[in-house]
Amino acid sequence: MGLTSFCVPEDRGGFGRRADAAAAAASELGAALHGSPFAALTAATHVLATSADPDADDLVADLLAGQRVCAFGHFDQSRRRAHLLDGVSGAEAVLLADTDRDEFILFTDPSAWVMDPVPHGFDVSRQAADLVVDAATGRIIPACAAGDRLHGLLLAADTLGGVQRALDRTVDYAGQRQAFGRSIGGFQAVQHRLADHAVRVRGMRLLVNDAARAIDADDPTADRAVALAALSVHSGATGVLHDLVQLTGAIGFTWEYGLHHYQRRAHQNARLAGGTRSAASALAIAEGWRDAG
Amino acid sequence: MPADVDGYRAEVRTFITEHAHPMAREGVRVPVDRAEEVAIRAWLAALYDAGHLGAGWPVEWGGGADRHLMHDLVLMEELILGNAYRPLDQVMLAAHAVIEFGSEAQKAAYLPKIRAAEHIWCQLFSEPDSGSDLASLRCRADADGGGFSVTGQKIWSTDAQWADMGMLLARTDPAVDRHAGITAFVMPMDLPGIDVRPIREMTGEAEFCEVFLDEVRLGPEHILGEVDDGWRVITSGLASERAFVGANAIQLQRMLADLVLLASTARLSDGSTAIEHEDVLATLASALARVEEVTLIVRDTVDRILVDEEHSSDGPVAKLAYTETNVALCELALGLIASSSTIDDDGIEVADRWRHNFLWSRALTISGGSSEIMRGLIGRQLLGLPRA
Repeated sequence: MGLTSFCVPEDRGGFGRRADAAAAAASELGAALHGSPFAALTAATHVLATSADPDADDLVADLLAGQRVCAFGHFDQSRRRAHLLDGVSGAEAVLLADTDRDEFILFTDPSAWVMDPVPHGFDVSRQAADLVVDAATGRIIPACAAGDRLHGLLLAADTLGGVQRALDRTVDYAGQRQAFGRSIGGFQAVQHRLADHAVRVRGMRLLVNDAARAIDADDPTADRAVALAALSVHSGATGVLHDLVQLTGAIGFTWEYGLHHYQRRAHQNARLAGGTRSAASALAIAEGWRDAG
Repeated sequence: MPADVDGYRAEVRTFITEHAHPMAREGVRVPVDRAEEVAIRAWLAALYDAGHLGAGWPVEWGGGADRHLMHDLVLMEELILGNAYRPLDQVMLAAHAVIEFGSEAQKAAYLPKIRAAEHIWCQLFSEPDSGSDLASLRCRADADGGGFSVTGQKIWSTDAQWADMGMLLARTDPAVDRHAGITAFVMPMDLPGIDVRPIREMTGEAEFCEVFLDEVRLGPEHILGEVDDGWRVITSGLASERAFVGANAIQLQRMLADLVLLASTARLSDGSTAIEHEDVLATLASALARVEEVTLIVRDTVDRILVDEEHSSDGPVAKLAYTETNVALCELALGLIASSSTIDDDGIEVADRWRHNFLWSRALTISGGSSEIMRGLIGRQLLGLPRA
């Protein structure tokens, strides 16, 4: 469907920069608990396509054609490991940010790395893994701040889509489930909490939309907008989702009913995004609070 | 959106800087003495004279030909930013109700006096047994000769102790459906039989009033709209306040700046300021995210109001989000104050303001439809859940 090309320059066969469309797609994939490595793939494809590195051309073409998958992550300080790599299902390439050196390193030889997905199996809808690879076997790609920005946006959008779907399902359930001769959605203890969650989720959605708009407009506040969306979504989703299980009662606690899948995925997205701490820290700098004391 | 909104903002900002009467504290409106009352009336009249207030009225009553809802929103934002005394019921409710439902004689009698700030208006809606459930009101207006005799008790009336006019809701037909038997009246507050008693609130101020009505005589000229059609008159009037909800975003942005100021001046026992600590930075970041959420929610609502595509739940969503976030910010501020051992001199005033705002924040989650009422409206109108 060309979903990976939303943030690829038009002369490279993409749509230019449409973070808004990418965020909408990420939300739908999150709502559907889809297994595709969309956030990682979109971010990696964006970095590679804008790098103008001719040796990455074949890979970019394959990524756009859906013939190869590229995982996305960060090197740790040893430059031998990447913790919590995103988008590993079927990955035949890996793009790692080396933040100390302000560059990316691309690996295209699967025999050069070892992936271990075992520690990250909590989210059963998508795969993440730890990676061991020698930096010397990779190829240096120029830094691209937009890669992390885009990845952060899409992770927040993915969780948002899941929370919205879980909320919609719970509202439907509350309208149908009968107890004491009426639907439980008519009880204030249920209805008022659903109303609060609906307001909160609307706030999250507007922040995600605003961050996408800021990226597309090359707004200098785009990093701040992404941090706000990330903080709002990753700090709010856990509590909302857990309460939706409570409001669905015992059936909501079953594996089959599946609300837990959104919780698992939201947690994984929050980890991939560096948690709320990373967003809060970015905001403290953006707002000048660190100097305010 | 009209192209001159930025220009208008600059114009109104200058006007406020040069002329405004200040707002002592949030929610504190009643003049402390005759001199302040004169100053407040002069300020409100100046706003009308300059075409900032009343500009959306029909041109024949002094309105501007090219006034846009955005101008009203900008005006309200700038009044908040400039800490200027803000108009309340006399503009938002009474004027719109008189314009929409008043007879030509009523318009001629009241609109010029609103413009001159000769008439401050209050609303006489709530009763001791009719708060959120306003349609259950029992204050009676019995037909008596050509007019009515009004008896009952009203409560929570802002500005009633100095208002010249009241907009009254009273039951004219107890036999029909409770919404159908209510009539709206305009009532001079100096009529015999009206007794206004201010109530001291938990902030220590006495802003709201009880109003006792004992066989107050009203004539047919005091009926606003049709007899038994009062519910429509006041719900339509309230609808005209819709766009002002957007100004609340500015209020929250201002509060966030106050929270940062507080964190920068509150010192812990080791002499460090609160903002030097990671947990406080995290708290500020969360507060910022909440404020930005609500800012976008109210702007989103205003955008829909401007193109007349508002959903019935938009107002309740914006009100709930704003007022509850306001409470949350106040709680954070009080926590910061409580955790600090001293506050630098330039933070003393803001700390006092936070303590007042903390108490006042409850007025906002209770009045104008409590948070519980808002959640019910959202549950039914947005989520489609059954009536509780």
